[in-house]
Amino acid sequence: MEDSQNAAPGSVSANKLGGARKAADPGQNAAKRLQTELMMLMTSPAPGVSAFPSADGNLLSWRATIEGPDDTPYAGLTFKLSFEFPSNYPYAPPTVIYRTPIYHPNVDFSGRICLDILKDKWTAAYNIQTVLLSLQSLLGEPNNSSPLNGEAAELWEKDPALFKSKVMDRHKDLEDD
Amino acid sequence: MPPPNTPEEGVLTADSPSEQSAPSIAYIPTRHRLYPEPPESPPPRAPTAPPAATTESSRATTPNPSRPPSRPNSAGRASPISCSDRSCLPPINYQDLHYESEVDKSLECPICRTPFYLPLTTKPCGHTFCAACLDRALEIQPVCPIDRQPLDATRDLCHTRVLLDQLDRLRVKCPNRGCDHVCSRELLAVHYERYCEYTMVHCPAPECDLRVARVDARAEKGCLHTYTPCQYCDKSVMVANLEEHYDADCGGHTAKCAHCNAIVIRHRMEKHIAKDCLRTVVACKWRPFGCSEWAPREEVEKHEQGHCVYQAIGRLVRDRMDDRMMINELKDRLSNVDERLRKAEKEKRRSHAAPFVPDLDLNDSPRAAPSYNSGAWDSPEDYMLAQFERMESKMEDLRKMIVELDGHHSMRLLNDTMRLNEQIAELNSKVGVLGMHTTWLMNVQRQSRGQQRAGTAGGPPGSGMVGSSSSAGGGGNSAGGRSVADSDRSRYYSANDGGVPLRRNSHDRGENPPRL
Ligand SMILES: [Zn+2]
Ligand SMILES: [Zn+2]
Ligand SMILES: [Zn+2]
Ligand SMILES: [Zn+2]
Ligand SMILES: [Zn+2]
Ligand SMILES: [Zn+2]
Ligand SMILES: [Zn+2]
Repeated sequence: MEDSQNAAPGSVSANKLGGARKAADPGQNAAKRLQTELMMLMTSPAPGVSAFPSADGNLLSWRATIEGPDDTPYAGLTFKLSFEFPSNYPYAPPTVIYRTPIYHPNVDFSGRICLDILKDKWTAAYNIQTVLLSLQSLLGEPNNSSPLNGEAAELWEKDPALFKSKVMDRHKDLEDD
Repeated sequence: MPPPNTPEEGVLTADSPSEQSAPSIAYIPTRHRLYPEPPESPPPRAPTAPPAATTESSRATTPNPSRPPSRPNSAGRASPISCSDRSCLPPINYQDLHYESEVDKSLECPICRTPFYLPLTTKPCGHTFCAACLDRALEIQPVCPIDRQPLDATRDLCHTRVLLDQLDRLRVKCPNRGCDHVCSRELLAVHYERYCEYTMVHCPAPECDLRVARVDARAEKGCLHTYTPCQYCDKSVMVANLEEHYDADCGGHTAKCAHCNAIVIRHRMEKHIAKDCLRTVVACKWRPFGCSEWAPREEVEKHEQGHCVYQAIGRLVRDRMDDRMMINELKDRLSNVDERLRKAEKEKRRSHAAPFVPDLDLNDSPRAAPSYNSGAWDSPEDYMLAQFERMESKMEDLRKMIVELDGHHSMRLLNDTMRLNEQIAELNSKVGVLGMHTTWLMNVQRQSRGQQRAGTAGGPPGSGMVGSSSSAGGGGNSAGGRSVADSDRSRYYSANDGGVPLRRNSHDRGENPPRL
């Protein structure tokens, strides 16, 4: 705040308007950025992941899918997720939730995910695609040191076969909405 | 506290939420200034209440006739701005520009995903972001958004010149709706601020706070934000919005064209008949060159596209006329330049008349090309090329001359100063000699005084130096006309005698001092 007080006379009006600007800008920023991301996802899609704004036309809410990578217990399965973007995206991370039930050390039973880049390690340079790819690789390399699902973390180490069957038990395909 | 102009609730009926939060993203540095601030102008704001006459109707949910004028920019159009500077403009939103061709991915900011605007590069890790984007990211956490390196905004950021140049060269479309102008991004601001007819400027009416497109402001139609009844329907429309009204929600705005039965906006009927109507009878455009075709426009157009025999002639004549015009214009310009050069030359000659006359003869030089009219050139292009070459060589001559003049100047300066230097040196030596003389004289005087003191020591007390010497001197001189050598000797003797000291006579002086 000090700086703004020492600033050039011309900027006074900017400061006066600060409140309005702060409130007004982000939503528009976020929408713009999400539009360009949509373009990007459509023109250069990454294998195994996809995302699209939800049907209601609200650009701040997206649906995404991740295909389970080969060589992991999730091979052949498809997971649906929802993305909710804050109005100051990309300066704050989206809220990402697994809508498809998934048995995974870092996902709880309501689909909430424990991933550092979606929390304190988020930076404005991340985007939907990088988040999806991180989530995809998390399927093959869970972070078992800080699990949301302790049982899953334990079984991952000790009994891969049981883990796999629990994964298959829990998974069920969602109807498209 | 909300800013003074926050629109009242309920007034914004027709605006979607996104339009309420309209202001375009002008970069306003918040805490620290990462970049020289762009010309500051307050952001456009949401429209306020329309004039009282229509307030009741606009408060309803019906389409709002008070919507600000149609043309340019985003939602900031025609919004009231409480700024004292009436020449201020809504800022360009550089993150919402349309580029002529696809921009290289490497020029995209990883945060806003649009080509960088005012890019800054991190020194420790070399990542680049728009200043505004990075500023906001750093506000949340002072680390590089790519690799989370700690960053100090005051120290760790720099500009990348190559990048700036590259960005400046990007071809970009003017952001104003209605304008087709495409230019390099570097020049966009100039176009937008100075020339674009569709930039929203303050309404020329001094008491009006709204904005109108520059083209309308210039037309001196007064304030266009008054309401006028539409001539085709019973609505009341803001003058600035008439065009939009005709296009969109005017009821009785159309009519059938008498020639082609097309539904045409009445307001544009004249233009339709003059330019677009396919059934209106028109003449072939090569008519001035002899074609007599005279038919409905669609036929004439077909005829013009390939069948008209006069086309070739017409084209030729027209091209030639164009060429002629261009040549004349260029000739004029050239003679202007010549004129100016000649003037400059005269002036230069005047100022350097005495020692150095530069050879600035531009027109009579043997290189000077014969004029186009003499027929020595095969084509206007050749002529122009020759003229350009001539200009170039003239410029080169001028350059050389300036260099020469410069050399000449410094030479003269050197000569002048050299003479001065010599004189100073001479004066210096003279002063030195004078100094020596003075020292010598002082020494002599000191010596003689020493002797006098020695002499008076043995003499009668009370005999003052000056007084005694003069009285004694009278005696000494009267003693006889002794030779110089005698008197010299006698001085010492007499001093040794303990008698009255002799006055030093004038001969002593003349003999010994060094000559000048
Ligand atoms: Zn970095
Ligand atoms: Zn950016
Ligand atoms: Zn323009
Ligand atoms: Zn006005
Ligand atoms: Zn109308
Ligand atoms: Zn017609
Ligand atoms: Zn013709």
